[in-house]
Amino acid sequence: MNKRTVKINERELSLSNLDKDLYPSYGFTKAQTLEYYGSIAPFMLPFLKDRALTLKRYPQGVEGDFFFQKRCPAPRPAWLETAEVPYGNEKRITYCVANNLETLIWLTNLASIEFHAPLAKADFPDNPDSVVFDLDPGVGADVLDCAKVALMVKDVLSDLKLECFVKTSGKKGLHVFAPLDRKKTKFEDTKNFSKAVASIIQKNFPDLVTAKMNKEYRNKKVFINWSQNDASKTMVCVYSLRALEKPSVSFPLSWKDLDKALELHAPEHLRVLATQAEVMAEKHSEFFKEMLDKKQRLPNS
Amino acid sequence: MKTSNKAKAAINGQKQSNAPASPETPVGGLWSGTISFSLVAIPVRLVKSVEPDRVSFHLLHDKDYSPLERKMFCPEEEKIVPREEIIRGYEIEPGKHILISDEELESVSPDRSRTIEIVEFIDIQEVDPLYYDHPYFLVPLKGGEKSYSLLAESMRRTGKAGIAKFVLDDREHLVLIISRDAALAISTLHYSDEILPENDTAAAMHEASNDANNLMKKSIQGMMADFTPEKYSNGRRKKLLDIINKKIKKKTEVEAPETQGEEAAEGMADLMSALEKSMRKVKKTDE
Amino acid sequence: MASTLWIGNIQFDNITVPVKLHTAVSQNRIQFHLLHKTDRVKLHQRMICKFDGAPAPAEEQVKGFLVDERKYVLMNPEELQQAEPESSRTIDIHEFVKTSRIEPVFIERTYYLEPDNVVKSYSALAAALKELNASGVCTWVMRKRAYFGAILSTGKNLRLNVLRYSDEIVPVKSLGLESFELSEKEVGIGSELINKLTVKFQPEKYGNEHQKKLRDMIEKKARGQKITLMTPKHLKPTTPGKLLETLEKSLKAA
Repeated sequence: MNKRTVKINERELSLSNLDKDLYPSYGFTKAQTLEYYGSIAPFMLPFLKDRALTLKRYPQGVEGDFFFQKRCPAPRPAWLETAEVPYGNEKRITYCVANNLETLIWLTNLASIEFHAPLAKADFPDNPDSVVFDLDPGVGADVLDCAKVALMVKDVLSDLKLECFVKTSGKKGLHVFAPLDRKKTKFEDTKNFSKAVASIIQKNFPDLVTAKMNKEYRNKKVFINWSQNDASKTMVCVYSLRALEKPSVSFPLSWKDLDKALELHAPEHLRVLATQAEVMAEKHSEFFKEMLDKKQRLPNS
Repeated sequence: MKTSNKAKAAINGQKQSNAPASPETPVGGLWSGTISFSLVAIPVRLVKSVEPDRVSFHLLHDKDYSPLERKMFCPEEEKIVPREEIIRGYEIEPGKHILISDEELESVSPDRSRTIEIVEFIDIQEVDPLYYDHPYFLVPLKGGEKSYSLLAESMRRTGKAGIAKFVLDDREHLVLIISRDAALAISTLHYSDEILPENDTAAAMHEASNDANNLMKKSIQGMMADFTPEKYSNGRRKKLLDIINKKIKKKTEVEAPETQGEEAAEGMADLMSALEKSMRKVKKTDE
Repeated sequence: MASTLWIGNIQFDNITVPVKLHTAVSQNRIQFHLLHKTDRVKLHQRMICKFDGAPAPAEEQVKGFLVDERKYVLMNPEELQQAEPESSRTIDIHEFVKTSRIEPVFIERTYYLEPDNVVKSYSALAAALKELNASGVCTWVMRKRAYFGAILSTGKNLRLNVLRYSDEIVPVKSLGLESFELSEKEVGIGSELINKLTVKFQPEKYGNEHQKKLRDMIEKKARGQKITLMTPKHLKPTTPGKLLETLEKSLKAA
C-alpha cells in the first residue's frame, strides 16, 4: 500500500509514497525510513526539543536532488510548532521544532532524511548548551584516526573536569560533545575554548591533527572543526539518518567502542546503519543521555 | 528486532492513548497568551495566516562569497560597534537624544503583553476593509478548545467581531477578532489617524450620464464570474526558481569560506597553559 | 492627500479609465535612532563581510541563493531582470466578481484611485460597480513587480486593492482544529453576551495608546522626571468545566 493515514497522539497524518525507495542501491524505502524514525523517536526527541531544525529533503531518494530547507514547509498543520529565529540578515525565519512524534513523522513524510540543528535552543539562540569538536578526516585519514583524536580530546577535557560524549557523524567522522550550562555560556566562549583545545592538540600531534580550515592542511590528518561552535552553524542531530548510499546513522558510542575499534583495527565498529541502530538504541542511549541535563562550565568562563 | 512499540504501532495505524497535545508556551513562537471576553479567558497562540512565498537571497561578498551581515557602524570612530555599545535614543532636537532602555520600552504597555482583552464587539459589516493590516490565526492551547469553539460559534451566529488591543513585538496593535470557518482569525488594524483622507475630486466633478452608466453596467455584467484566485499566480517566483534550478544543474555553486573567527581573546593565556599541562599528561599516558 | 505614487489605465472590454494611485495608509510611529554609547553618535548600517570583518560596499555585493550549508548559486542583475515582468501602464481587468466573495484576508494593501484628467468614465465605473456590488479582478505591473488585485467602488471613488496569491494564504482546514460539542445553552448565552457588549464601530475612538505612553515617557525624561516601570499582566485561563458558570457571571456583570 503506497498511502496510509495514521493517528499519532490524536492527530491525523497522511503518509504517502511509502513504497518509494529512498536508498535505491541498498534498498530502504520511505516506509522503512518512517519506521526507523518512529522507533528511534523516544531516544531522539529529547535532543530535538526546542531546537530550530534545518532539513535536508530527498524526495527522489538519496541519488536525486535534495533541498536544503530552513523555513518550515507550508502549508503545515497548526499543531506543528515553529520557532522564529534570526538567520543571517533576515529578521526572523520560521523554523520547524519537533517536540513530538507526530512532527518528526510529518517531516519524514516530506522525505526529510537528515535533521540538523544548532547547538543552542530556539529561545536563546546565542547560548549553546554544549561545545562540539567536529572531527573530520581529510583525504588519507579515516574514522580510526578520528577515534584517536577523539580520545585525546576526551583526556584533555577530563583533566579540566569536563565530561564528554561521542557519536558517529554518520559519514566519515566523529563528534565529541561536552554538555554545558547555557545560562552561563555564549558561543564566543565555546568557540574560543574549542579553538584553543584544537590548537594545543595540533601543536602536540602535528602529523595526525590540524586545526586549520584550509583544505591543503588536511591531507592525511583529522581536522578539528572548532568553527562549528557558532550560532549560525548546525550539527546533524544524534540518531539522524544520513543521505549516503546506505542508511547510516549519527549514533552515540561508548568510549570503550573507540578503544575496541582501535585495538582490532576495525573501522566498521564505528559505523552504524539504521537497522543496527534500532536494535542498539536502548543500550547506546545510555552513553549519551547525560548530554541532556549535565550542566558543566567551561574553564575561564 | 527491538523497537519502540508505541511508535511502531502508531506508524502501523493503531490508536494511541495519553495524548500530550500542544505545550503551554511553545518555545520561540510568535506569541502565546490568553484571549478574553468579559470573564472568559481562553489560552491561545498566534499562528501565521499568510505565508508569503518569496524566493529569498543572501547578500554575499563578491570577493570571497562570504555572507554579509548588517552591523551598526560608527561614522565618528570609523568602526563596527558591538551590541553592548549600542543604545536607543529619540531625537528631540537635532543632535540631542533622550535615551530609552529595553525595559523602559517594554514597560510602556504593561497590561497588554500576554492578554488580548476583548472589551467590545462590533458588527463586522461596519468595518471598512481599508482598516485591515496583517492577518493571523489564533489556535487554542490545551484546555482552551471548548471556550475557543464557543467564542467562534457565538461570533459567527451574531455576525459580530471583537475589538481589542495587544502588544506584539514592541508595538501595540488595534485588532479585530473574526470568526472564519469555526476558527478565530485575528487581524491587526490601522489606527484611524493613520488612514489618509480619500480624494474628493471625483465627488466635485460631474455625474456620469445614464447612457454611460448603462453601457458600463452592461460590460461589467458580461464579465461577471466566480472569484477563483487560484487562477492568478506569482510568476516571478517560478521564473526565479527555474533560473536557479538550471544553475544548480550546471553545478556552478560557490562556497563561502569557513569563518576563521576572531583571534583568541585575552584571558586565553590561562586556558592555554592549563591545556598545555593537560596535554603533557595525555602524552605521558600514551607513551 | 499623499502624492501620486503611480499612473495607469484601467482597461477592460473597450473601456479605458486613466487613474492616479495614492497610498491610503500612513503609519506615524515614533522612530528611534541607534547611537554609540560612548559618543552618542548616530550609527549607520553597513554590510560587513563575515569572513574578514570588513565593510563591503555596494559594488562588491552579489546575491546568492542558499542551496546547502555555505553553498550558494549566484544571481547576477541580468538574471534577476529576466524574472521581471514587462513594464506597462495598464491595469487589466479580466473579470468581475461580487465584492462580498473577496474575503478580507486576501487584501494586502489598498490604494486610492483618482481620475487622471478624464472623469466621465471614472464616475461611470464607480457608479456601476457600486450598484452591482461588484469588484474588478485585475493584474498590473508597477515598479518592475507584477500585481494581482481588485478594483472596487465606494460610490463616488474607486479603490485598488492589492490581493495576496491564494497559495500564500493558510487554509483554515490545515489548522486541524477539532469541532467541539457545544450546548445550545452555552452558545445562547455566549451570543447574548456578545450582543450586550456590541457597540457601533467608531475607529476614531481607539487611539494608539502605546505611542501616546511612549511619547509621555520621552517627555517626562526630557524634563528630567523619574519614570516607574510596570510588569505585564497574566490572566488565568477558564477551565472547560467552569465555562458555563463563567459565562453566566459575565452576563450578569455586563
